[in-house]
Amino acid sequence: MKEGETTVLSTDELISPNSVMENNNAEKKKKQFITAIQKSTPNRINVGIPRALLFYKFHQLWTTFFEELGANVIVSPKTNKEIKTKAISCAPDEDCYSTKLYYGHVMALKDKVDYLFIPRFQSEHKTNVSCPKFLGLAESLRSAYADLPPIIMPAYSQAKLKHGKWRLIQIAFSIGKIFTKNPFKILRATRQAFNNHRSWIQDKILTHMELSDWEQNKLFVNDPPVIHDSTEPLKIALIAHTYMLNDPYASLNIKQLLINAGVNLITSEQMPKDLIEKQMEKLDFNMYFDYERELLGTAMHFLEKKTIDGIIHIIIFCCGPDSIVGEMVSRFSKRDPVIPVLQLTFDELTGETGLKTRLEAFLDMVHRKKKMEGRN
Amino acid sequence: MPISYPHFGSLTYVIESLLNELGVDVMVPKKPTKRTTELGARYGPEFVCTPFKLTLGTFIEMLEAGADVLGMGGCNAYCRFGYYWPVQKLILQDLGFDNFRFINIDYENPLNIIRQLKTESGLNTLQTIRAFQITWVKNRLTDLVDQLVYRYRALEVVKGSCDKLANKLFRKIVETRGMSSIRKLHKELPSYFEREIETYSAKNRLKIVVTGEIYVVLEPALNVDVFRKLNNLGVIVETPITLRRFIDVGQKLNPFKKMHFLKARKLGVPYVAYRIGGETQENLGDIIYYKKHGFDGMVHLYPFTCMPEIITRAIAPEISMKYDMPFISLVVDEQTGEAGFQTRLEAFTDLLQRKKDEKSTIFIRKD
Repeated sequence: MKEGETTVLSTDELISPNSVMENNNAEKKKKQFITAIQKSTPNRINVGIPRALLFYKFHQLWTTFFEELGANVIVSPKTNKEIKTKAISCAPDEDCYSTKLYYGHVMALKDKVDYLFIPRFQSEHKTNVSCPKFLGLAESLRSAYADLPPIIMPAYSQAKLKHGKWRLIQIAFSIGKIFTKNPFKILRATRQAFNNHRSWIQDKILTHMELSDWEQNKLFVNDPPVIHDSTEPLKIALIAHTYMLNDPYASLNIKQLLINAGVNLITSEQMPKDLIEKQMEKLDFNMYFDYERELLGTAMHFLEKKTIDGIIHIIIFCCGPDSIVGEMVSRFSKRDPVIPVLQLTFDELTGETGLKTRLEAFLDMVHRKKKMEGRN
Repeated sequence: MPISYPHFGSLTYVIESLLNELGVDVMVPKKPTKRTTELGARYGPEFVCTPFKLTLGTFIEMLEAGADVLGMGGCNAYCRFGYYWPVQKLILQDLGFDNFRFINIDYENPLNIIRQLKTESGLNTLQTIRAFQITWVKNRLTDLVDQLVYRYRALEVVKGSCDKLANKLFRKIVETRGMSSIRKLHKELPSYFEREIETYSAKNRLKIVVTGEIYVVLEPALNVDVFRKLNNLGVIVETPITLRRFIDVGQKLNPFKKMHFLKARKLGVPYVAYRIGGETQENLGDIIYYKKHGFDGMVHLYPFTCMPEIITRAIAPEISMKYDMPFISLVVDEQTGEAGFQTRLEAFTDLLQRKKDEKSTIFIRKD
């Protein structure tokens, strides 16, 4: 391990989404900033964005866009017990856990904002789509709760409706005219938002060099693990949806638990896209759910390369795509049983103790396996 | 090499005649039994939707019986249906079945269907198109028989006479060959029912429409035979759900006829602006459509964890309230019991009956 590299990466170079969300200081400052602005300009329009589901994929894009337009962006607080209880009581009982949480976040916001931003986002790929719930969320919320503030719900679907750049500009103007009459301001905001989004994604995704360095234990791509003895840390891939990985409350802080247990972690959202596409070409069908490609691709990549010690796959209860991906991952791993795979199903009733026990058992097993292999 | 496919209500007969027409060795699937559901639930993923489990169970049974080509639909939409065959293939391989292959047909695009059928059957393009045309015309026939059964079964004097006739007619539809005789049969179908079934009067009967996810609505083994249950309660039932919205190219190209799903979708657009997959827009539109056409209530069926239909269920109460159309949503999975459904349907029809009676009495008083 090269210490110099790790320190640089963990602080500046690699801005993982957590550093935006988990850094308490930065957020406090931001809050102070927002309250200061609210006091100085009371006439600004408040736009609420629920901190759930696609927010974790597009937060740079959305917040920058609205801030540049001159709106006052209010993001709902991080998931906590209050939000969860509210979510369970007001969401449709058959939605997946993450969608339920979305309802809780909307409820937390609804009295504080003038507009809610719930995009009907569907796909950013020529043929591949994503979960239909993203498309139906805004309308089912509007229908179920009449007292919500007006919802800004742009629809974008490249696969089915053949939307392209022109549509993006249309959307930008239709939203922008709520906040400003200056078309140049809208264009500037759009460009700034996309630039920020792109650079954030570039920072998040590893390069091939970084990945191979990580595989050789030269570099940490997440927070450095807490190492208790002199053994080499375990390399484990954590496969889950972005909105599960970055929500410490919903995922019961599994990332931190693993890091504390001395695990050198890589997450599925950090994987290089071309590696995933390469894996997808090996399948005899088209994996047409776009965001599940990275989950399955990561699992298949590591099952094939065998450069890690274990895979942990988080499945959200009642998630439609996960039921398929989960089955595929488990079938693939059973056919080539070299890398151990642990699949955990999360829902609102999952307890931390149960999770800890299972993680400990899994890590112990992986440790022992590694030791035995070392002896041979 | 016999080819088999999942049991799919009355469409089983349509697919059978398509394969006959293509000159392939067919193995008609058996009606799903309790064992089928159990097999599917045991080997399928935990919270996948129920049709997956039922079709998996059917495939296991058919492979045991000696089939070696399995036909299945595929799609590229907001639904898990397109993943059915890849995952089922993995599961079946792990179960030890080796010599089988899947034919997956993307049903959303008719050209694609024809192309696939052509490569599989080895016929030329014209013959394939002809076979496909016969399929969609026969599908019109089975739809008509279904529609008549759901009406006459509620009114029949001798219980069971309607089912007997329907079975006879389905067989006849499969065996009829040649376009002119099929069209002739199409015209004769209603007269069969009029002639052979003795009925009570249809006056003051409740009329209920059943909508929902296509496989659940059309497969009696999955929906615990909701249609029969409603018919036994004396209710006339209708359903707008049909596979023809995908395969009936004839009606799609006909400028003088508009397919029902287009009308329903138009009514559903104010509530869900874009197609979400499943039958969400159509189901929502159907609430309004059937209210206008004098129906008393709507039963909505969907499999547990079906992604698009959960959205339907979330939005439907608003429309149902606005248009005063009673609406009940029933979830189906492999644990669904007969008695639970029976009770709920009885309660629902009782409420509808009371509502109807109240209306008529008020009407009389005003006179």
